[in-house]
Amino acid sequence: MAALQELQLHALGDATRRAILARLREGPLAVGVLARAFPVSRPAISQHLKVLKDARLVLDRAEGNRRLYRLDPKGFESLREYFDQFWTEALDAFKRRVEKPARRKDGR
Amino acid sequence: MMTTMTEKSTEPVVAKTVTVKASVEDAFRIFTTELDSWWPRSHHIGKAPMKKMIIETAKGGRCYSEQIDGTECDWATVLVWEPPRRLVIAWQITPEWSYERDIEKSSEVEVHFTPVGNGTTRVDLEHRFFSRHGAGGDSSRKAVDSEDGWGMLLELFAKKVEEAGEN
Repeated sequence: MAALQELQLHALGDATRRAILARLREGPLAVGVLARAFPVSRPAISQHLKVLKDARLVLDRAEGNRRLYRLDPKGFESLREYFDQFWTEALDAFKRRVEKPARRKDGR
Repeated sequence: MMTTMTEKSTEPVVAKTVTVKASVEDAFRIFTTELDSWWPRSHHIGKAPMKKMIIETAKGGRCYSEQIDGTECDWATVLVWEPPRRLVIAWQITPEWSYERDIEKSSEVEVHFTPVGNGTTRVDLEHRFFSRHGAGGDSSRKAVDSEDGWGMLLELFAKKVEEAGEN
C-alpha cells in the first residue's frame, strides 16, 4: 500500500504525466494520439504511460493494432488519502462553528 | 478510540478525532441538523455551485446538496441514527465523483459523540471501506466530466509531491 502510494506520488510528480492523466479524463486514447498531443517523442510517451500503469493510475487494452489507455478507477485506493485531508478540514470547520455560535440563527 | 460496529476490516481507514467545547446534544445537532453551517462549500458533487447541504435526520434519510440552479444531488444515506451519540452514513460517491446508487459499493462514515466532562464533547469519526468504491468492475462509463473528481485528487497529489520536495 505504502509502496503503491509512493509509485503514485512519483508518477504524479511529473508535469507531462499529470497532463496525460488530464487528457485521459476525457476518455480512452491511443498512444499515437497522446504522442501527437505532447511535444515529446512517442517512446517518451510510452515510458510515461508505463510509469502511470505501474502506479495503477491507468489501464491499457489492445484494440486492433492499437493500444488504448484510460484512467484506472480502482487505482485510486488513495481516495483514503484524499479523505484523510478532507475530514481534517471538515472537522476543523465543524469545531470552529460549534465554538463560535452562528451570528444569525434564523433561517437556513 | 471508537468501537467498530460492523465487520472488521484490515483495510486502512481514516480516523479523526476532534474535541469541542459543547454539550453532546449541541455537537450532534450542529453536526447533523446544522450541517450546512460548517460543511466546506467546495465539497459537493453538483454541476452548479452548492447552495445548501442537508442531512435528513432519521434512519434511511438522504444526505444531499441543493445547487443554485435548483437541482439536488444525493451523496449519502443515513444508516444509523442514534442522537446524540452515534451516526453512520453510507458515502455514495464514486471515485469519479458521481452518485453511487448501490450502497454495497459505497464507503461508510461512522461518527461517535462522547461527553468528556466540563461541557466538552469528543467527536470520533471513521471513514472506511474505500475499496468498496472499486467494486463496480469495469467502469468504462465516461463519468469524469467535472473539474473535481480526478482533477481534485490529482491536484492533491501534486501538492503532496511538491511538499515532499525532491527525494
